[in-house]
Amino acid sequence: MARLIPSIPSIPSRRPRFGRGAVLAVSAAYFAVPLLAAVVYTVDDPVKGVTLSAYTGILGAGGFLPALLLSLELAAATIAVVLLILVPAAIAVRLGGSRLRAAVEVVCTLPLVVPPIALAAGLTTVLKWGPEYLARTPFFQTIVALQNPGFPVVLVLAYVVMSLPLAYRALDAGLRTLDVPTLMEAALNNGAGRIRAVTGVILPNLRGALLNAVFLTLALVLGEYTVASILGFQPFTVWIVNGSASAQGPVTIAVSVLSLLLTWALLLVLSASGGRRHTSAPASRNTKGTT
Amino acid sequence: MSASTDVTATAAPAAAAAPATARRRAHAAAGPLAVAPLLIVVAVAFGIPALAMLGGAFTTTDNGPGTAVHYTTGNLTASLQGAYLTALLGSVKLSLTAALISTVAGLLLAQAVVTSRYAVLRHAVLSASGVLANFGGVPLAFAFVATLGNAGVLTQHLGLDKAGWSLYSFWGLVLVYLYFLVPLMVLTVIPSLDGLRAQWREAAQNNGATTWQYWRHVALPVLAPSLLGGFVLLFGSAFAAYATARAMVGASVPLITLQIANALNGNVFAGQGNVGLAMSLDMVVVAGLVMAVYIPLQRRSARWLV
Amino acid sequence: MSSSAAPATTGGTSRRMQGEAATAAQEDRQDRETGATVEFRQVRRAFGAAVALDGLDLDVRPGELLALLGPSGCGKTTALRMLAGFETPESGEVVVDGEDVTSVPANRRDAGMVFQSYSLFPHLSAADNVAFGLRMRKVSARERRARAAELLELVGLPHHGDRYPHQLSGGQQQRIALARALALRPRVLLLDEPLSALDAKVRLALREEIRRLQRELAITTLFVTHDQEEALSMADRVAVMHAGRLEQCAEPGELYARPATAFVAEFVGTMNRIPGRTGDDGGVVEVVGRRLPVDGPGAAPHREVDVLVRPEAVELAVAEKGTKGAEGTARVTGTTFLGAVTRISVRLADGTLVKADMTTHTATAFPAGTAVTVGLPERPVLVDERRA
Repeated sequence: MARLIPSIPSIPSRRPRFGRGAVLAVSAAYFAVPLLAAVVYTVDDPVKGVTLSAYTGILGAGGFLPALLLSLELAAATIAVVLLILVPAAIAVRLGGSRLRAAVEVVCTLPLVVPPIALAAGLTTVLKWGPEYLARTPFFQTIVALQNPGFPVVLVLAYVVMSLPLAYRALDAGLRTLDVPTLMEAALNNGAGRIRAVTGVILPNLRGALLNAVFLTLALVLGEYTVASILGFQPFTVWIVNGSASAQGPVTIAVSVLSLLLTWALLLVLSASGGRRHTSAPASRNTKGTT
Repeated sequence: MSASTDVTATAAPAAAAAPATARRRAHAAAGPLAVAPLLIVVAVAFGIPALAMLGGAFTTTDNGPGTAVHYTTGNLTASLQGAYLTALLGSVKLSLTAALISTVAGLLLAQAVVTSRYAVLRHAVLSASGVLANFGGVPLAFAFVATLGNAGVLTQHLGLDKAGWSLYSFWGLVLVYLYFLVPLMVLTVIPSLDGLRAQWREAAQNNGATTWQYWRHVALPVLAPSLLGGFVLLFGSAFAAYATARAMVGASVPLITLQIANALNGNVFAGQGNVGLAMSLDMVVVAGLVMAVYIPLQRRSARWLV
Repeated sequence: MSSSAAPATTGGTSRRMQGEAATAAQEDRQDRETGATVEFRQVRRAFGAAVALDGLDLDVRPGELLALLGPSGCGKTTALRMLAGFETPESGEVVVDGEDVTSVPANRRDAGMVFQSYSLFPHLSAADNVAFGLRMRKVSARERRARAAELLELVGLPHHGDRYPHQLSGGQQQRIALARALALRPRVLLLDEPLSALDAKVRLALREEIRRLQRELAITTLFVTHDQEEALSMADRVAVMHAGRLEQCAEPGELYARPATAFVAEFVGTMNRIPGRTGDDGGVVEVVGRRLPVDGPGAAPHREVDVLVRPEAVELAVAEKGTKGAEGTARVTGTTFLGAVTRISVRLADGTLVKADMTTHTATAFPAGTAVTVGLPERPVLVDERRA
């Protein structure tokens, strides 16, 4: 009965209302000012007044498009690999015993213990083995292919590892809301094979969590700087930093603002779809569960 | 309804859990096969570099390729001396400071949001936090450069440079780090604040506690694992950060990540690459400690607050 | 208990602390031999458009266990929380022992409360939970330990002091919560559906336990529940609430046999509603072909009404072949086995469904489809406005 009545805070919680306003105002200012200032910086030229030349200058700056394309390609490849290896594992964990679960959880937590720069350090060491030890073996070709500047597979590998903790948590959170064993049994009972059961029943119910994992990975890859710069490749973020040395300041900031807005848009889509998932999940679970 | 029918209503749900484990076992056969690709990829992409780093940290190579490899603890010793030690301590100090401020600020902000009557505010702050917590790195650094750098908008308009302000300093970096650490804390602590039951506050009041006593004896102790866990997580996040510092300050604030990058890029004299690996190992040890503290705290918090 | 009186209460607590030798129950009892009275006077409280309490008037007698019974949203929990100080009335007053406590803050109310569930502090052991209030009053650690041990003994968990809430079962947690509520020797004990989250068996055991303790301590107790069986079996008196108002406050037997309103009649136990019509003078009602006298002031003449009759008061007889009751043919539509009693559903000629309870042995004479005649008691429970 108490639940039905909206609980109106009683006397003790009335006091901090003033403090709450102050906290919110300071926070809002702190988070909004740098963004607004960055925009002002890019459009306010001391000589020419307000101008959009910084934004129009982006396309003209050397290497912009190749760098952006490389970032997008890396993101696509990383997402594909992450989903391919993680989805079966996450589902198997829900069906399997506790030891399998512990193993997968450890594997997906380990990358948190190795900071990106340490991972990059390890990778440079491995890549140096190529010329030093493997020059006359078939592995050498592999090592060379790994670091093809046009599409450095080694970065994909690194990003897959770095994405695992976030992506696994996103997937597992989605799977937790489903009764995976029952869904599987219902599907098998209706004549579906194991693969069909997963693709036809589990995955559609997991759409929100999958989307979550995809966007988190995407955000990570698009924003990643450490490993790429240490290994000497030039995706978008590295290009921004290198560009700041050569190109004029406003263009660099303009690119930052744009990439920021892009990331924001992507992540807002993520949080919006995440919100929708919460409301739609029970309904879709019921309809799919009985097929 | 008869007087006797009510009683049985709550007895039913208890029985549901038992068959689940048996059913899990039935599906278990497919488990290892489905997990294999993940394990292989992690072994190759993570295991080999990690071992290479570990090996490199404990070996030294004479100049030139193909020559003898010696096992040594010299790299590690070197990584904990002189400029390297300064960088390690600088990173620890920066991370501790930023994490501490962010923990307090994040708790205040989260509490302000949780106790607000406006659901819109809560949704907006959660979404924004999700975005901002993932928004470290290069664009963030440049946004702050444009705001508070030497030629930044605020620096110019408010004359901060004359007041001795520099973004490229310890406190400048702290200010920038707060930008992604505070939202991370908000995301971490909001579920815990939601988990604080209204009954606890009321039970405390009912036992004569004042608002202050409630926070001192109930709310903060119950939140402690979550707050500590959040603090440790923020520390780890700040400690591992490289891009922001690299894009913004260059090397003017000594940080271990900057030192490692220098060592690896051969910006210092030859043979220092392995010291870079040793410093990486130092970082892994610190990060490992962070996780070792964080995971048990997280478990305890989950037990209390869910 | 105005705020100025609070220090006196605190002093009293520590004074009482010295008599550790006596058993907790005896000592507590001596302390409030008389028990406190509680009065709600014209208390009103609305949450936005929803009126939770609409001028509640209620007297609680010293030392009694009074159950507040009613459906969800009837205001019973709001009333309890108002007495605890968690809600403030818009108008009216709450009086304890003749003292207006309406504006006394919750932490000085001197009323121990047990919540629905999960109210124990998760980071404190059972003993520390029990002693929490003493700690707030800066009672020494030694005295706290002694008092906690007494109370754990009192609720039957003397060896569970070191356990943490997550190590206790739901029933044990509620016992600890009860001990915590009693730790400060409050004048009033408030129970907010304390059993509703427990399984049936534990619930029955704890019900008796609470009742025993309450009698032993002779503490004035308010018990909120939506479970009528709980209310009827535990309480000295039951206050039935509906839409923010008190419908009736009476002893359980009285409430069942002589409900004051149709709401009480139908909320407590099972009730038949049989359509009828008042006679020429309103003192008589015609129902299923019979004329029954109406108790009390009576109704307006010639009105469509419902007659309320308990199933155990309905009499059935197998209709003789060929004969037809004045009410037409009534038939048995089904039977429900309830143990010693079987409930028989009968459809009257006009379509009304009537339930009749009889011993299971007798009921075998009335299989489904049997044509029956329906007899009503001389005095129905109530005559009410016709409801669609």
